Amino acid sequence: MHEHRLRHRYRGHKGGKGYERVALIGNPNVGKSVIFGLLTGKYAIVSNYPGTTVEVSYANISLDGKKYLVVDTPGVNNLIPMSEDEKVTRDILLHDKPSVVLQVGDSKNLKRTLLLTAQLGEMGLPIILDLNMEDEAREIGISIDIERLRSLVGVEVVSTTAPERKGMKGMKAAISKKNKVPAITVQYNPLIEEYIEKVSFYLPEANVSKRAIALMILSGDESMREWLNTNIEAEVIKELERLRNECQERLKRPISVIINETRLKKAAEIADMVTKKIPQLGSSLASTLGRLSMHPLWGIPILLVVLFGLYEFVGVFGAGILVGLLENKIFDAYLIPIFIKVVKMFIPFPFVQEMFIGEYGLITMALKYAIGIIFPITTTFFIAFAILEDSGYLPRLAIMSNKVFNLMGLSGKAVLPMVLGLGCGTMAVMTTRILESKRERIIATFLLALAVPCAAQLGVIMGMLGTLSAKAMSIWVLSVLGILLFSGYLASKIVPGEKSGFFLEIPPLRKPTLENIAVKTSSRVIWYLKEAVPLFMLGTFILFILYKLALLGLIRSFAAPVVVNVLGLPDKTTDAFLLGFFRRDYGAAGLFAMAEKGLLTPIQSVVSLVTITLFIPCLAHFFMIIKERGLKMALTMVVIIFPAAIFFGGLLNWTLRHLHITI
Amino acid sequence: MMPEKKKLCRSITASGTEKSMFEDEALEAIWELAEDGEVNFTDLIKEIGNEKEILEMQKDGLIIIREDKVQFTEIGRDRARDITRRHLLAERLFADVLALNEYEEDACRFEHAISPGVEEAICTFLGHPPTCPHGRAIPKGNCCRLYTREVKPLVQPLTDLEVGVTAKVVFITTPAMEKLTAIGLVPGGTVKLQQKKPSYVVGIDETTIAIDEEIAKRIYVKR
Repeated sequence: MHEHRLRHRYRGHKGGKGYERVALIGNPNVGKSVIFGLLTGKYAIVSNYPGTTVEVSYANISLDGKKYLVVDTPGVNNLIPMSEDEKVTRDILLHDKPSVVLQVGDSKNLKRTLLLTAQLGEMGLPIILDLNMEDEAREIGISIDIERLRSLVGVEVVSTTAPERKGMKGMKAAISKKNKVPAITVQYNPLIEEYIEKVSFYLPEANVSKRAIALMILSGDESMREWLNTNIEAEVIKELERLRNECQERLKRPISVIINETRLKKAAEIADMVTKKIPQLGSSLASTLGRLSMHPLWGIPILLVVLFGLYEFVGVFGAGILVGLLENKIFDAYLIPIFIKVVKMFIPFPFVQEMFIGEYGLITMALKYAIGIIFPITTTFFIAFAILEDSGYLPRLAIMSNKVFNLMGLSGKAVLPMVLGLGCGTMAVMTTRILESKRERIIATFLLALAVPCAAQLGVIMGMLGTLSAKAMSIWVLSVLGILLFSGYLASKIVPGEKSGFFLEIPPLRKPTLENIAVKTSSRVIWYLKEAVPLFMLGTFILFILYKLALLGLIRSFAAPVVVNVLGLPDKTTDAFLLGFFRRDYGAAGLFAMAEKGLLTPIQSVVSLVTITLFIPCLAHFFMIIKERGLKMALTMVVIIFPAAIFFGGLLNWTLRHLHITI
Repeated sequence: MMPEKKKLCRSITASGTEKSMFEDEALEAIWELAEDGEVNFTDLIKEIGNEKEILEMQKDGLIIIREDKVQFTEIGRDRARDITRRHLLAERLFADVLALNEYEEDACRFEHAISPGVEEAICTFLGHPPTCPHGRAIPKGNCCRLYTREVKPLVQPLTDLEVGVTAKVVFITTPAMEKLTAIGLVPGGTVKLQQKKPSYVVGIDETTIAIDEEIAKRIYVKR
């Protein structure tokens, strides 16, 4: 997705010597990534959901002949990190020594913006303050005296409306100037000041001021430990800890809270001086709709409308009409015959011919599945998802669904990874980083791998079930939902760790811009194709080899007891399940092909689909789990998931047959 | 600090003796039994023993025992009501505001240690609560009668606020406090409760946040 990716820990950026660093810092959802895009011409995922940027993007630009390395960072409310992504941002400031920090703030929330400015000032970093979303502020009757703010804070202040590119020139001009450190001095209570001095005494020179580091230590910032361990001797660290504890004992309330409150008071003071109320433009349709969409009553019909729209667009239009067009009209009618001719003309060896155009052919099977079936479905899903994301509906969905997620040991915040998982599980695993606790990240990752089908798979499944009956569809939906809830409930009992409260910022409802939807969708689709097509090819190739070596029959007879007896499926289904090891959507496509040929009875269709839905989604997804959760956790999940898939599939088979349910 | 505290404790118990302490406890027990109907002398003895001391209470004019039935005299009833009230108010204070799980014993000690003035202040602070955490009715005091029309607590959890109301934050006791302060929700600031279901939605300046009940009930506000 991005050229440079950072996981978990910030490791520094190689190269870029001679470049000055510009770090984009700001509260969540203030538009840092939009500004990044406008500044560099490079796309970082932009959305109207706080915490979308979970990793750092870099790009080079040159302004007035000078070269800069621009860094886009995850949003922070506080430079004392409270989550993994906030830590990434703080560490950039701590390790990277940017020559200027471009602080992007929400014009509507000047107080919170200045809270960060004050901290950047304490760190001694030169900044440019960009007040973004000037239009939204004006709409709700807030006007900011930029001149006054400039003189109060003592740094360059620019005002922008990013989607309209307003104010970008001024910002670019400001970057190449010599920038100053914010002149906001926050005076803490005398006791804290005393200890700031005591702690500072032991600190080495660093990229940020000793005062700032002392404040982090006094706040009890555990994420500083790494930095302390590499920069300070163990004995001194002990002394620092002693000082911190001593200071805390002498105060009634947590030091971090006192520090925060003092900063906030200062920020509010300045904000009040420069903010002016102007006549409001009245409550807009968006804000009314925004309120209704999280209303306990009205929220439900709105949710149903959204779901229906999603189904119509992705299920009916994407999986029905577009797939029909691509697969039957274009592939079967034109492309495949052409390919067959071309291959037969240029490749004289029947073995190689078969490799391309045979039953397990790279073109006739892999390419047709990938482009003809999967591509239109994922594209329509990503378009729909981008609209949901950019409109700001998802956080409202989180409110509506918090209670249900609670049952699974998660909070409503998990709605983003879960819904994104309906598009692509691999991306979704990455977004689990927005969840607060390790416990929630583990549960969400597990559920994504087990019971959340991705768009491609969903499309194939819908296509297959659609030809059966509404009853078949409901059995599949209910089974998967039931298994999701049941496994989530079990996981919430088993996975250790504290339950963390639900806390989510709700952005205003906005009209998505066509440009961002287009750019975002295409970047996701390209990422998806790059990831999926090679795996399709590989999977098909391996099947082809197995088939040629007559090993496929061997594996089939080996798997037969399980496939035939437990799941009650024909042994040829093994092929599809084998494909499912590479990508479960691909496996589902295999089942689809079997069903089309009439090789599966309705009950067999449903059972096989439920089983493959529960498989590990794909190799890329598996690698992402390793990356995010570690090899041990990933293997544990695999060991649980495959038997669970067979178990639930077998259970469903047994139930359907014993209750004599006809589909 | 310490000696001063001791002196204070002595001055409180100076007015009472062990006997009055026992009387308080016995009156409280009778009050509680009376909540379920008539009080039998035999049941009472089964509950607390000390037959001799109970009979002495009759002599002192606190209770009347007639054919195994125990009844309060007027003085006895007033004292029983007051002590029960103080005990149950203490329970509310410990459970709701201080968020303690184990508070029974402390409530027992607390009831003997507070003056009527403090009792009224606590009652007002809690908003003249009608029941204790276990659901027992808290006897009304003078302060409650003054507020018969609008019983609004001075400080209440955000969960008790009505939707659409703006209130001032007084204190926050949730572990999520740091996260709240970072977005500007601090004691002294104002919040607007926008909705309670399916999740709590709160506006702070131009920021809107959603929180669950766990966090909301630990944010105390004043209207």
